[in-house]
This record gives sequence, structure tokens and C-alpha cells, in this order.
Amino acid sequence: MTSAGAGRNQRWVMGGVLFALGLVAVIEGWRLYALRTQMVAGAVVGDDTLPLITGAALIIFGILVAVVAPPPPAKVTLPAGPVRAQMLLAGGLLVAYWLILPYVGYTGSTALISVGLYRAMGNYRWLVAGLLAAVTTALLFLMFRVWLHEPLPTGWLGF
Amino acid sequence: MEVLTQLAGGFAAALSPTNLFMAALGALLGTLVGVLPGLGPTAAIAILFPLTTVLEPVPAIIMLAGIYYGAMYGGSTTAILLNIPGEVASVPTCLDGYPMARQGRGGVALGIAAIGSFFAGTLGVVALTFFAPLLADQALRFGPPEYFGLMVLAFTVVASLSSASLLKGFAMAAVGYLASLTGLGPSTAEPRFTFDWGPLMSGVDLIALVVGLFAISEVFLGLEESRVAIAEKIRNVFPGWADLRAAIPAILRGTGIGFVLGLLPGCAPGVTVFMAYDAERRISRHPERFGKGAIEGVAAPESANNATSSAGFIPLLALGIPGSAPLAVLLGGLMVYGLQPGPLLFQKNPEFVWTIIASFYIGNVILLVLNLPLVGLWARLTRIPYGILGPVILMLSFLGAYSVRNSMFDVGVSLVFGAVGYFLRKYQWPLAPLLLAFILGPLLEKYLIQSLSMSGGSPLIFVQRGLSLALILAAGVLLFTSLVLVRYTSRRVREETAEELAL
Repeated sequence: MTSAGAGRNQRWVMGGVLFALGLVAVIEGWRLYALRTQMVAGAVVGDDTLPLITGAALIIFGILVAVVAPPPPAKVTLPAGPVRAQMLLAGGLLVAYWLILPYVGYTGSTALISVGLYRAMGNYRWLVAGLLAAVTTALLFLMFRVWLHEPLPTGWLGF
Repeated sequence: MEVLTQLAGGFAAALSPTNLFMAALGALLGTLVGVLPGLGPTAAIAILFPLTTVLEPVPAIIMLAGIYYGAMYGGSTTAILLNIPGEVASVPTCLDGYPMARQGRGGVALGIAAIGSFFAGTLGVVALTFFAPLLADQALRFGPPEYFGLMVLAFTVVASLSSASLLKGFAMAAVGYLASLTGLGPSTAEPRFTFDWGPLMSGVDLIALVVGLFAISEVFLGLEESRVAIAEKIRNVFPGWADLRAAIPAILRGTGIGFVLGLLPGCAPGVTVFMAYDAERRISRHPERFGKGAIEGVAAPESANNATSSAGFIPLLALGIPGSAPLAVLLGGLMVYGLQPGPLLFQKNPEFVWTIIASFYIGNVILLVLNLPLVGLWARLTRIPYGILGPVILMLSFLGAYSVRNSMFDVGVSLVFGAVGYFLRKYQWPLAPLLLAFILGPLLEKYLIQSLSMSGGSPLIFVQRGLSLALILAAGVLLFTSLVLVRYTSRRVREETAEELAL
């Protein structure tokens, strides 16, 4: 893609996101405004005031970014090849950790996901990744459970 | 005199074994995380913040302050040894620190950075001791419109945190305000932006947001870069007489520039470090040495950085205005403990404030005592492969986000903001304005609603009261000053790194 094309994409995407967020804020502010006029007689301001102001500001910023005064486009090289694979795998593992932690419990899920992360981010052999994961799981357990008394999820296994 | 009596009381409390231990632990952990490649002070404080939540407010804030100081120092270690500035305030340190390290003088550069940081940090705390109560006394006359004016003044900080594009900075601030509105409305307790989804009722947690934006995104950015530390062993960290003779005037000048400009709420360390570095190069008899390992090139910006950071505590504690992203996280930390920085803090919690101020003195000493002998250890830490560091930071961030409210929803929030933060940083949209607005959003809303209720909805109330008008005018002047300073700094950052960086 040419740099002009990339710049156009950047400003439309970000301007569009800002505009959409502003629209959501204005709609929510409008709902709250209607509610306030019903609930609190005579109140001139309330929970709707800042959402409406922020929403209007975001819409204006969105239009400025996309159309009126787009900021200079950033020169961005997105990761490719093995690095991108590493990043996607690591991100996926974090999401998986978030999904399984409440069910599998701290110990099992942390050990499992740590092995994956060490493999994905450091390309360590299974044995090394396993050892690193065991140490990480134990240290984090000591820190959060023993020192901080955090009730870490125990899941189906009970630990 | 009264100030000294109160400070003595603060020292008595801060020197208790528990508080002393927490200050040392905070400084140690802050440095430990701060030296990890690419993790700036903001991320370091965010990652370590959950560790303080089990403590009582006083030791917790003391530990947090130690973490702040430690993380600030840790940032200079990676700048010198790896040529990686964790934040833009460390860019000038890289310019001469890294060449010094390549010449085998990394230890001396780290030693000078520690001494300069100690001197500037201590001077900043001395000023905090005497200025902040005066400022807080004046601010006691404030009503809601004046507080709103103060929030507008705080908003000028956005300009100095916006890198090259002001539009990007203000747009990010608006996004931050929007995020802060999620949850129950303050007037009617009606859910806002929750879309009938239960977990959103309690709003977005600050730590989850910071961990996502600054820590998780950083790990993914770090994966893309190959980061190689200087392999030589760090030998002597104590500078010789010749080095000291060259560095001391630079430390004094850097401290002066950093401190005076740091008092302005809109002036971040990222601005003052470049001014200090450039001033040093301009007055040097051998400007050609700069960029090739001149010790003044490390001493001046490091001192300016710490002087600005310390001076930033004055508007932070006295007015509730954070001047930089790490201070914004610190402000968020204080608020988590139910403390609202600002004039009333000095009235309502004087013991607390003076204990914290005393602990700043102690923290600076501990940092120097700890860091000079341990420089070799910190240097070795920078050589830990990213394949080990990355997973550890991710797991720590994940569990840290969970532990604040024991909520998997918060973890989800941090993951979402991690992804958002990665792309925003990649496309050079500054994150600090978002964070600042997120923290100040609820206060801005409170004072706006109170003021407009007082005036029957007329916004003229903000210009009809002298103090409020003065604050809004001051905001305008500061905004202009910030714009000039930011333009200068952005140009300098571009010259040195060929990049646009958020300040």
C-alpha cells in the first residue's frame, strides 16, 4: 500500500472509531437526559451532562481526524512472519488463560499457559519451558496467595 | 516552624520499622521492574501496584512512592545499558549514556545518574515540604467552580503529553473521559454505558486499564524488537574526581531547569530533560563530545528528570494535578486508598501527608544506598532473555489485574486495553492523555455538576468568580506555554530518534 493510501486508511479508521464512540456517548447521554427530566424535577444538570459533552467532543474530533485536519500519518510496520505468529500465539494463550482460569484453577491453568508462553515467546524446548513454567507458577503462587492472601481461583480441581 | 514540627512527626512515623521496610522494598521492587527492558515507570508502577493493596494506606503509599522512585531510576539503567528509553524522558540519557557504556564506562554513567537523581529528588522534596502547604492553604478558599477551574488547568497537562499532535492528545483525553463514565451515574445511580451488562456496573478499574495500556501492550511491542544489553561487566560505579568535577555543575543546572519548569502543571519530564541536555551542550566548551559519551550529557537530563518528577509532587499533593503519566498512576493509587490529593488532604489527613513527605526523603536515600552497590545486579538483569521476561511480565500483569478486585472481568478489561494500547502506540496515539482524563474524569464531572447546579445551569459561573476565572486564564497561558515547549521537544525527539514519541 502507498503511504498516501496508508495515511487515508489511518485517518478514516481512527476518525471513524472516534465518531462512533461519540455517537454512542450522545445516544446514552440522551437516554439519561430523558430519565433525568422524569426523575428529578427542576434539575438542570445530571448524569447526562458529561456524556453529552464528551460525546459531542468525540464526534468533532472524529470529523477533524477523518476529514478536516487529519494528523500526519504514522509510518508503521506491522509484524510479519514468525514474529507475528509469536504475537498471535501469545495473545491467544492469554485469552485462553482468561477463559480456563475459573474452571481449571490457578495451579493447572498457570502451569499450562506458562509452558505455552515460554514456547511461543522464547522458543524454549518443552523440558526447559516446563521447568520455567513450574518455577513461575510456584513464585506467583507465593507472591499472590501466600504474601498477598489473594483468593486465587481454585476451579474444578480445588487448587 | 510549624512545617518543621509536622515534618518531624512525619519522620517519626516514616522511620518505624514497617514503613522503613516498605520504602526499601518499594525502591527495590521499583528498580527491579524498572530495569526490565522497555518497561517504563508507568508500567512498572501499574504492575507492582496490586502488591501494595494488602497493606494499610500509609505503608502502602510509602511503598508505592518507593516503587515510583525505583522505577524512575530503573528507566535510566535500560537507557544507559541497552539504549532503550522506557519513556521519552530517558531519550537524552541514551544519547551519551549508551556511548559511555560502550566505552566500558557504563558503571560511571549509572553512578552519576544515581547521584544526580538523589540530589535533584531530594531538592524537589525539600521544596515540596515548604511550598505544598502554602499552595494548599490558598486552595482552601476553593468552591466547586474553582475546583472545576483546577480540573481545566489539569487538562493543560494533556498538551504536554500529546507528542507532536495536539488533536491526537485531546481525542485520546476524550476517550479517557468516556471510559471513566462507565458504571453508575454519580447523581442518580443510574447505570451508564453498561448496556445492561452486570460486570460493567462497577465501572472500569484503573489498574486493569493501566496494566493493559502500559504493561501488556509493552510486552508485545518488545517482542518485535531485538534488545541486546552491553555485555561488558560493570566494574566501578563510583565516578572519579574528574568525572565529578564535570558532572556536578551539570547536575546543578539540570536540577534548576527541571525543578523550575516542573512546577508548571503542564510541564512533563519529557520536556525538561531535552532543555537541560541542550542547555548543557550549548554552554559546553566541547559541544562535539556530546552524543559520544559526555558525562554531562547523562548528569544534566537525569537530574532534570528527577527534579521535574519531584517538583511534580507539589501540584499533585497540593492541587491534585498530576504532571506526568507515572504521577497520574500514583494519583490513581492514592484515590484507591480513599485519599483525594488536593488542599483538603493537608487539612483532613496531615499525619498521613507528612509521613508520606518524610518517606520521600527516606526513599531518596534508600535508592542511593541501594542502587550504587547493586548496579552490577541491575545490569545483569537487563541481560535476561526476553523469552523469559515477556511471559513473566504477562503473567504478573494478568494476576495483578485480577487481584485488585478478584475479578475476571478486570482481567478481560486489561486484555482488551492491552490490544487497544498496542495499536494506539504502534500508530503513535499518545496513551498518557487517556490515562489522565480517565483519572480526572469523575472529579471533573462532580465539580461541573455541582457548579452548574449552583448557577442554575449557567456556565457563566466559571468566569464570574475571580479565582475560577484566574484558574481558567492560567490554564490558557499554560496551554500556550506547553504548546511551545512541546513543539520544541517533539522536534528534538524527532532529531534524535527519528520518531514521534509521547512525552
